[in-house]
Amino acid sequence: MLRRSLRVIAMMMLTLVLAATGFAGTASAQDKFKLGMAVGGNTCCEWMKAQGDVARALAEKNGWDYVELSNNNDPATALKNAQIFVQEGVNAVIQFNGQPSSNPAIAAVLKAANIPVVAYDIADPGMYFVGIDNLAAGIAGGKQLGELIKAKWDCNPDLVISAEGASAGIVNEWRTGGMRTGLKEVCPDIPDAKWVSFESQGDAAVGLPAARDLLAAHPDAKNMAVVGLNDGGVLSLINAAEQLGRADGVIGWGQDGAFITGDNVNPHLAGSVFYFLEGYAVYAVKDVIGPIAAGTVPALKADAGDPASKVQPCPVSAEQAKSVPDMAARVTQLLAAPAGTTEYELFCPNK
Amino acid sequence: MTDLAAKRDTYVIPHHPLRELLTGSVASIALTFIVVLAVGLIWVGPKFLSFGNISIMGTFLIVPLIVGAFAGFALLSGVVDLSIGSMVGFSSALFATFLTLGWDPWAAAPVTLLACVFFGGINAIAIVGFGAEAIAATLGMLVALRGITWVLLGPQGSIFSFNPGLFTLVNQSVFGLPLFFLLAVVLTLFTSLLVSKSRLGRHIQAVGGDDRAAARAGISVKRVRVVALLLSAFGGGLGGIVFAGQLGSAARATGVGLEFQVYAALMIGGYSILRGGVGNPIGGALGLLAVAGVSNILDLRSISPYYVNIIVGLLLLAAVLLDRFRGGDAYE
Repeated sequence: MLRRSLRVIAMMMLTLVLAATGFAGTASAQDKFKLGMAVGGNTCCEWMKAQGDVARALAEKNGWDYVELSNNNDPATALKNAQIFVQEGVNAVIQFNGQPSSNPAIAAVLKAANIPVVAYDIADPGMYFVGIDNLAAGIAGGKQLGELIKAKWDCNPDLVISAEGASAGIVNEWRTGGMRTGLKEVCPDIPDAKWVSFESQGDAAVGLPAARDLLAAHPDAKNMAVVGLNDGGVLSLINAAEQLGRADGVIGWGQDGAFITGDNVNPHLAGSVFYFLEGYAVYAVKDVIGPIAAGTVPALKADAGDPASKVQPCPVSAEQAKSVPDMAARVTQLLAAPAGTTEYELFCPNK
Repeated sequence: MTDLAAKRDTYVIPHHPLRELLTGSVASIALTFIVVLAVGLIWVGPKFLSFGNISIMGTFLIVPLIVGAFAGFALLSGVVDLSIGSMVGFSSALFATFLTLGWDPWAAAPVTLLACVFFGGINAIAIVGFGAEAIAATLGMLVALRGITWVLLGPQGSIFSFNPGLFTLVNQSVFGLPLFFLLAVVLTLFTSLLVSKSRLGRHIQAVGGDDRAAARAGISVKRVRVVALLLSAFGGGLGGIVFAGQLGSAARATGVGLEFQVYAALMIGGYSILRGGVGNPIGGALGLLAVAGVSNILDLRSISPYYVNIIVGLLLLAAVLLDRFRGGDAYE
């Protein structure tokens, strides 16, 4: 059996070597600017795919070649994609990497090939940061929720629950912590014992068991305010409360606006902060990619506190969100707008 | 047993060259692999077989090849080890933890491997010592190791352990191909030799094929299965260390779902999950290469990677059907 196996392998290797030596040198050189885009690839969120659609459309408008890959929410795949970008000869890369543990390796691979990288929302020292002013977004959302709690419960909820997403690091501290800060500005006398947290990982499905555990640990809590890293995290607590028949007294306020538009908005999600995630490419192209394509490489701004391009947050109540088109319509209108127009300018009802 | 059943069980498939090509343990997957190569060349073009592209596929395959080569021992001996993906995650987390504590990688690696073999030993005690179902026992270990990994990684869910020296070593190229990929190929060939030429390999196959017959032939079934499970855990540990070196970090996502990726490829390559004694490491490696080739074709054609799962599923179904075509148990 082994001899036959080795014969087959040898035959295949010979074919492979002949083909590789015959074909490898025939690739034609490209002279057009080529943009690489690595989308997040997490099945949780439609906006991850839309980020690629907008980047592709902007690349086509600018006459650039475009290569899109999906990180598949997997660190090893994200690294493999970086290597494919090098092979494809891209001139710049945009990535959303929800598994940032591979960022140092990705940065090393792309830096060795002298390819600049834009990172959305999760900062890395070697990448241009394009993202939201997370702290401002957190505080704005917290204040709005505080006003609701003040009006409904006279600033006296049974619990204030934080849906954390610790892997996002400082972004989580800014967003979730910022919401707590904003809420405390309106309701400063909520006792420390009422502030509790659970790890939602920023995903409605993944965070569900931990949310259930938290509710089980506080069986008498009825009026509960929920803040969190993003809409998905906040929804994990709301969904758990619905499963346990305890959602009547739950008011959540999310971040990122991913689940606040459309026909199926959860009634307990009282509001969110729109980032208009799908339209980030407008910022990236305007402030980083466009200048690079024009031959002027901007200074590296990798810090989330001093970003290469800052996305404006747009806090909205669920009622206000009804006036905002759904994502597909927003993308269509964004791409029809003059170059450089942002979704904040087009759609935010609270400018 | 009826006459008909007896006749069916003793039926010998007549020799035919074409059938041999299609039904040989490695030839069938080799054929699949050649089809993938042909599709890649036609659809993607010459770039598909460029050294650069093979290098990218190779880099991505290092860990699955290592893990698959060792997990194959457990399958061959008739026990499936579902904890290999978690073992990779645990190993990478432990190794990364040691690095952040300032340990030298050469000291951290053997200690990490020992820890993995320890957990493999627990699998062995449960399955061989107490007769637990392998699927149930290793499923328990999968969950437990995932929990230990999360504890090691802490609330951040990841550890950054980027070590430039280690990164350079793991990502080194020789003749335009990743050094560790070539080492993984050598390892596969070595394990293939071990399976087919060594006494240990023959014993493992015998135990997996029919443990009672093996025992009657004087083979220590328990000892063979313990060795196979320890080797499987060792492979997971080694894969995790390489992962941490490649990525410069460990994260909760590391190794998640790897067991399905590896076992799907091994089955496509001729192994059986529930029937021991079937398969060859070279077939398993070709299964991994075929799946990686499909994934790469979709990448280079900018097609959603979700389609990979559909294609892998179809290949798996084809492998199962081929298994029946070649006679299933009767073939062995």
